[in-house]
Amino acid sequence: MLGREYKSCRWRHHLHSGASALKKNKRVSFFQSFNMAAARRLKRVAASQPGFLHLKSTSDSIDSMSSRRKRVNKNKKKNWNKHSDIIDVEEFLEDVRHQERTTGGLLSEKSDDSLFFVDVGQSKKAEQKESIEGKKRKGKTSRPLRIDLILQHDSLVPPPKDVLAYQQPNAKKLRRIAQKAEQLAAKGVVPRRQKQLPNRRPVDRKAKKAVTEANNNPDREYYDIWGQESKDSADPWYLQQTGKKLVTRPEKLNEKPSVLPAVEVIAPGGSYNPDFFSHQALLQEAHDVEVKKQKEEDKIQRQLAINKEDRATEETTLREQVEGLVEEENEEDTAPNEEEGGVAVGAIALAEKKTERQRKRQKADKIKEQQRLSDRRQTEQRQQLFQLRSIKSSIKQQEKKTKDKQKLRKAKQEAQKGQPRRLGRLKFQAQDLEVQLSDELAGSLRQLKPEGSVLKDRFKSLQKRNLIEPRERAKFKRIHKLKYVEKRAFREIT
Amino acid sequence: MGGLQKKKFERGSATNYITRNKARKKLQLSLPDFRRLCILKGIYPHEPKHKKKVNKGSTAPRTFYLLKDIRFLLHEPIVGKFRDYKVFVRKLKKAYGKTEWSAVERLKENKPTYKLDHIIKERYPTFIDALRDIDDSLCMCFLFSTFARTGKCHVQTIQLCRRLTVEWMNYVITARALRKVFISIKGIYYQAEVMGQLITWLVPYQFSHDHPTDVDYRVMATFTELYTTLLGFINFRLYHSLNLLYPPKLDSKSESELKEENEEDYALNSECYLEKLSALSASLARVVSTAEEEEEAEPDQFPIEGEDLEKMEEKEKKQKEQEAQKKLFEGLKFYLNREVPRESLAFVIRCFGGEVSWDKSVCIGSTYEVTDETITHQIVDRPNINKQYINRYYIQPQWVYDCINAKILLPVEDYFLGVTLPPHLSPFVEEKDGDYMPPEKVKIMALQRGEKPVHEQEDDDEEEGEDDDEGEDEEEEDDNEDEEDDDAESEEKNLKKMEEQRSQGKSLQVKVTPGKMKVQNPARLEQEEKAEEKRLAIMMMKKKEKYLYDKIMFGKKRKIREANKLAAKRKAYDDAEKAKKKKARK
Repeated sequence: MLGREYKSCRWRHHLHSGASALKKNKRVSFFQSFNMAAARRLKRVAASQPGFLHLKSTSDSIDSMSSRRKRVNKNKKKNWNKHSDIIDVEEFLEDVRHQERTTGGLLSEKSDDSLFFVDVGQSKKAEQKESIEGKKRKGKTSRPLRIDLILQHDSLVPPPKDVLAYQQPNAKKLRRIAQKAEQLAAKGVVPRRQKQLPNRRPVDRKAKKAVTEANNNPDREYYDIWGQESKDSADPWYLQQTGKKLVTRPEKLNEKPSVLPAVEVIAPGGSYNPDFFSHQALLQEAHDVEVKKQKEEDKIQRQLAINKEDRATEETTLREQVEGLVEEENEEDTAPNEEEGGVAVGAIALAEKKTERQRKRQKADKIKEQQRLSDRRQTEQRQQLFQLRSIKSSIKQQEKKTKDKQKLRKAKQEAQKGQPRRLGRLKFQAQDLEVQLSDELAGSLRQLKPEGSVLKDRFKSLQKRNLIEPRERAKFKRIHKLKYVEKRAFREIT
Repeated sequence: MGGLQKKKFERGSATNYITRNKARKKLQLSLPDFRRLCILKGIYPHEPKHKKKVNKGSTAPRTFYLLKDIRFLLHEPIVGKFRDYKVFVRKLKKAYGKTEWSAVERLKENKPTYKLDHIIKERYPTFIDALRDIDDSLCMCFLFSTFARTGKCHVQTIQLCRRLTVEWMNYVITARALRKVFISIKGIYYQAEVMGQLITWLVPYQFSHDHPTDVDYRVMATFTELYTTLLGFINFRLYHSLNLLYPPKLDSKSESELKEENEEDYALNSECYLEKLSALSASLARVVSTAEEEEEAEPDQFPIEGEDLEKMEEKEKKQKEQEAQKKLFEGLKFYLNREVPRESLAFVIRCFGGEVSWDKSVCIGSTYEVTDETITHQIVDRPNINKQYINRYYIQPQWVYDCINAKILLPVEDYFLGVTLPPHLSPFVEEKDGDYMPPEKVKIMALQRGEKPVHEQEDDDEEEGEDDDEGEDEEEEDDNEDEEDDDAESEEKNLKKMEEQRSQGKSLQVKVTPGKMKVQNPARLEQEEKAEEKRLAIMMMKKKEKYLYDKIMFGKKRKIREANKLAAKRKAYDDAEKAKKKKARK
């Protein structure tokens, strides 16, 4: 965009001398356009130069240089751009810029003192050298880094001033407000905002700290959660609309999923120094469990075992060898069967059409049968009047039966309540009973070896009470098969 | 006829349930997060009655939740926190991957956390509700507090659990709420009565953990997270109910006593206070320092008649018993040797008003030395001890526990050093009349009734005496069961005696004595009459009732028979043991 602007302006600049130089400077440095003083000076300088030429002369000079004369229409701006020679102007401007960069201004404008010095003699030079050497030595100790040297500002043109940095938006308005405030303060009137300051709520620093405090912080504080009444300070409607209202918990959720107690105390035989019989009872129990397990295992073993009848005997092997060689008798048996089948298939096709008479007869029979049945029903109903007592008793019996069934079902449900439910893929499996054999029992508390793990006991208890579903540890499963590659070094050895 | 065809599984139970995976997707949570949420909110899977209907015709085993429960979960603010946490972890991973340590620091500082206070309030609307459910949380906290700090769970959790359990034990001590203790092979079961609720918990033995692999630690940690919050709030409330300062403070008096010069050697300054608290040897500071002996408010007495009166009397009796139990060890001074489980014993002894101390090097907070002359009991668990003081009993730790369960101070002789201990019976077994009771229990019950124990030593000399006692006990039981047969038996005995005498060849005392009027015992007559009436009543019973009655009586008799059998077995066993001992001695 900048480039295009520059191009379109080019001719105009030529015509208007200094302005062109100014605008061309845009390319060099964007900020320069703001530097009004420098621009003014440039304008002046450019105007005073003798080499500032018009269009015609420049085109002539180009033509003279080229071997063939080129005719160019001068009524097109495009051609102006193309065929006017601005090299000298640019050279001049470049020179000016160079001077400014290197000396900080035009040499012609500098005073003589700043350009020349009086050469007084050798002695001073020596001193200067010494001083330079000293500087050098000094520089050795603290030489600037090369990167700093590269990054140094090497132009003597002062950087343009950022006007915006000194400007204040709404300065006038602010100044007026400040003045007014001063006036009021002089009168002793305190502004409203200041008056409200002491009424402001203090910043709750503690609350913020509580937010970041972890839940398992060992020094966390507790308070009376059941004592304080719920503070519904905010409007309930507001809370509901903003989704901040806590939904009340349904009553049903507070029911426990099992009737079992949280902590089931171990049987008296589990004492560290048990009574003989209770210990025996516990051992018996553990034994029964073990026997049951063993039985199941045996059953599976039995099912997996090869059946004795399936084993090859001499007879079966012989039969197998002769298979297909001696089978004439069977063929004879099967042949007549096939014939019978053929006859049966033929019989289906032999359905004949009924005659009119047959139809009428059938209809009459049907009506008669219905009549008979309805008569019989009526007599039965009449007879039931005399059977009232037996009917009553039968009803009673039925009711009793249903009641019994209900009771049974209820009892079953009650029994089910204490049982772990099937909550997932796996069934609940009770942990092994903790038992110490008679010779493992410790004589004193010091020698006691604890049995089982409390952690596992708790975990199983949670499962037993249907609080969590039984699971098994996830197995590590390799997605891709392992591939074995022989290393080169290894191959060399072997 | 007519209308649209009803589609299957669009109404009824199929719409009331939701599978776990669907629920998880609905909540936009990962499975572990979903599990955690369900545990925290108290929403458990449900087994439908007709699985096939719910599972849309499939019989594949699935986990189902009630749809309404999951809908309720949707409103939970913690769900948002879980999502925040997920984002936090992702950011942290990224920062680690790029090795931007400043970003890691910043993220860690702003780690999203959540509180469970509102969930506690929601799940337990009243304090009593919470107290009823505290068993689980106590077990879990005690369990976690014994874990080693090895990265199985957060160290902070372990510390918090330890703090909460110490607070709880201190409360139980101050309230004198402990009722029963049972040392099992698994751990120690305690039972306390707090505000009328019986609370049971299990404390594992120290240093006994092998970490089982088939336990999901994440699930357990989630439960613990909830339970620590619950227990903290309950502790606060309980402390305030006793006028104690809540973050518990030691009494100023005991604090100065516990001040030692080399505290720094034992624990860091920050941990010192908790350690002193967990020593359980000092009493706690109260909000309002009350007089030493609080006047117990006597319950108002109302005039009551009939059965209620009996009940009231029973109640009062029970209360008195309890009061007595609370002061069981008062005035006794215990000293724990270093080989006994210090924490459990200190807790138990202090719960019943005893004073307790131990060697300085065992734990902080010991109050007196071994050389103290006022020590009444020293608890020792080794076969013999070199230097013994005359004025104190050297007993094995089981004595303390047995005394508590028996609610009286048992004779110390059975628990001396090196003596084979009587069995430690479970206090959680409640025998009905007619059940078999081990002889030790019978003995304890006799002691409770205030009968002087016939001095039974396990020595061989008094073997017979003991046997007789046991026999008597059995007889007593029999007597209670069937009174009718009593007279007949006694007559039979007389006859037998006479027969024996005759067989031994002694001449019968043939003497004619003046006849005596048979004195009619009115009480006896009355009894007979009653028995007769009962028999008649049985005869007059309807067939159905009679059947039931017979069944009940048969059950009772069977029980008695079994009990007798066991008793006989026991006797045989004991005899065998004694014979063995004798042999060994010879």
